[in-house]
Amino acid sequence: MLRHFLYLTNSRLVSMVTRGKHIAMRREFAASSAGAAQFDQHLASLAGAPVYLFTDLAEEDFRLDTVPHVGARDREAIMGRKLVQMFRNTPFRHAVVQGREAEGRRDDRVFYTAITNPEVLRPWLEAIERRHAPLAGIYSAAVFSSVMLDELDLLFPHTLLVTFTPGGAMRQTYFRNREIKFSRLTPIDPEEGQSLGTLISEETTRTWQYLDSLRHFAEEDRLEVCVMLHPTDRAVVQPALRDFAQIQHHILDIEQVAAKLGLRPAPLGSTCEEIFVHLFLLRPGQNHFASPEMRRFDTLRRAKAGILSFAGAAVLASLGWGAWNLQQALQKSDVDQRVAQQIQTLNGEYDAITRSLPSFGVGGSTMRDAVSFYNASIRGFPQVTDFAVALSGVLARHPGVRLAQLAWIATDDANATPVLRKVASSEGMPVTATGTPVAPVKAADAAAQGTFSSGRYEVAVIEGTVRVPINDFRGALDAVGRLASDLSAMPGTSAAIVESPLDLRTSAQIHGRHEGAEPDTMEPRFVLRVIRDHRAET
Amino acid sequence: MTPAFTREGWKVLRGAWIGLAGAIVAAILIVSGSHWYGVKERRDSAEAGRRLQEARAKVEGARRERDNLNESADVFRMLVDRGLLQREQRLDLVEMVNGLRSRYQLFGLDYEIAPQRPLPLPGGRVFPSIDVLASRVKLHAKALHEGDILGFMDELSKQRQGFHPVDECTMRRIAGAGDGRLQAHVEADCTLEWITLKDKGANRAG
Repeated sequence: MLRHFLYLTNSRLVSMVTRGKHIAMRREFAASSAGAAQFDQHLASLAGAPVYLFTDLAEEDFRLDTVPHVGARDREAIMGRKLVQMFRNTPFRHAVVQGREAEGRRDDRVFYTAITNPEVLRPWLEAIERRHAPLAGIYSAAVFSSVMLDELDLLFPHTLLVTFTPGGAMRQTYFRNREIKFSRLTPIDPEEGQSLGTLISEETTRTWQYLDSLRHFAEEDRLEVCVMLHPTDRAVVQPALRDFAQIQHHILDIEQVAAKLGLRPAPLGSTCEEIFVHLFLLRPGQNHFASPEMRRFDTLRRAKAGILSFAGAAVLASLGWGAWNLQQALQKSDVDQRVAQQIQTLNGEYDAITRSLPSFGVGGSTMRDAVSFYNASIRGFPQVTDFAVALSGVLARHPGVRLAQLAWIATDDANATPVLRKVASSEGMPVTATGTPVAPVKAADAAAQGTFSSGRYEVAVIEGTVRVPINDFRGALDAVGRLASDLSAMPGTSAAIVESPLDLRTSAQIHGRHEGAEPDTMEPRFVLRVIRDHRAET
Repeated sequence: MTPAFTREGWKVLRGAWIGLAGAIVAAILIVSGSHWYGVKERRDSAEAGRRLQEARAKVEGARRERDNLNESADVFRMLVDRGLLQREQRLDLVEMVNGLRSRYQLFGLDYEIAPQRPLPLPGGRVFPSIDVLASRVKLHAKALHEGDILGFMDELSKQRQGFHPVDECTMRRIAGAGDGRLQAHVEADCTLEWITLKDKGANRAG
């Protein structure tokens, strides 16, 4: 960023253009109408660069005063009135509050300064105004020089800073405890035979006397005179400077000062305007003399810069947000592409699987349902012939038993019992019993309703007779009991006697008839219920 | 009054204000555009994820079906061979029963084939792709020996064509059949279901 610094003395105006922290261009203009015209042209070439005007003029006046310690607004009003009273004929005035008195009412200590002859500034300010150059401020070099004490660590109770201005003048500024109290500008106009060193020594001694007359010093106080010089001048100045008990001289080598402040290249002479510019770049100061009206173009410049910065920030922020969003979206897009490839691969795999499926001219679901139905309902469905073969195997071990009837059903109801029509007869038996059967006959409900069972159970009712010696009912009961027991030994099978050869229950009625000659044997009737559970079987 | 809001200030700052307005509009467009694009990409991504899940599920289903069908293929081939998926060929059944009667020398054979009906399955089970149909067949047979009847029933249920599971059967000796004449000694009443399947898809196609 370009900045335009002006250093105005009574005889000339120095223009310094900085870029960043470096002085990029320097020009000097004579304090004349011709110089002002040249400056006007020069200013045209620097349109837009903010202007910082330092004044180092003989017409600057400095005064100390105290005001009652009041609120900020009232204090401003008081200081404003004081400034008008003190410097009635100039708009270039400034006040600095420096703290409070240590004693009494503890009033505020105020330092006033003004450029008592505004005409000195007029041609330059007119050019600035005419060119709409943004004037950032008008600064008193003397007041601003307090910054130099801080930066150069000149921490003395009483300091007299001696600097040289372009155009041959010497500025002496007195600081007590680093607060400016007084400043004066003296032309360097040595008398015949008087060297620069002698001149400085005499002038600083004169200043000490003046300050002492104003009771700035106690008896033991010493004024530290800091003279900023180029090495070329130092050789001629230093020998002339005599230290006393009240005055101690310090030479500030301007090249060393420049090096300490980071100013490159160092100034070529003892004038310190470039040092001030660099100090200002390091520690910008507040405007001293320029009114808001004079600074309006700078205000507008800063407003414009602020608006454009905000606009730029808005665009940058949106671009940043957009880029982040776009990056996220692109990541998702990459993922989507991979997903699309995966989907394509999966679809290809699906097609390959579909093509490889066994086909019988029907859909896969038809095949699945048909097989499922077969496995669930037909594959394990029992067959009556299997049951009859197993039954025959058992009956073979019971030669006295004669099968009269077999009723068989395949069902899912363990309680279902096939209906039996009585075939065998107990007629001719010497002893018979009448009563209700042990297990009432129950029709197969599911079969009656037409539902096709899975055939978990085979239920059979077996009617038969057992040949035993006449009246050997015990033997008949045992034979039927053994038969039931042998049937129950088949896997998953249990057999129960529904009607025994002789019903011995107390609820039954027994009839006996013995007459005449009886045959050798008898064949009492019995009924068994056999149930075979195929799940228990497995 | 701050210089920014004077006539002169407006003149100086007009470009900056226009620039700011343009920047704000551009920022809004950039933000809203990128937001819209981001939302679209997120939506597309979610959609792609959903399609990927669907594709995976589809392939997984196909693999399962392939495995199931490979396991079932032999069974299904047998079912097809036995005509389970064909229409009832009632004439074939009549001829088969007559043939078996002759082979097992049954003294008498009465049978009824009921009209075909959808076969109710336990628990009301239905299959999405097939209809289970059945015709109830009732047989009354008389034979010299129970072995003939059992042989007849066994061969009937093991026929290579169709499925005829016997779910009820009663065999009894015939009273008074022991006078030495050649006559039936045993009779049987049996009931079986003649089961066929119908492809619902073929039904729809037809």
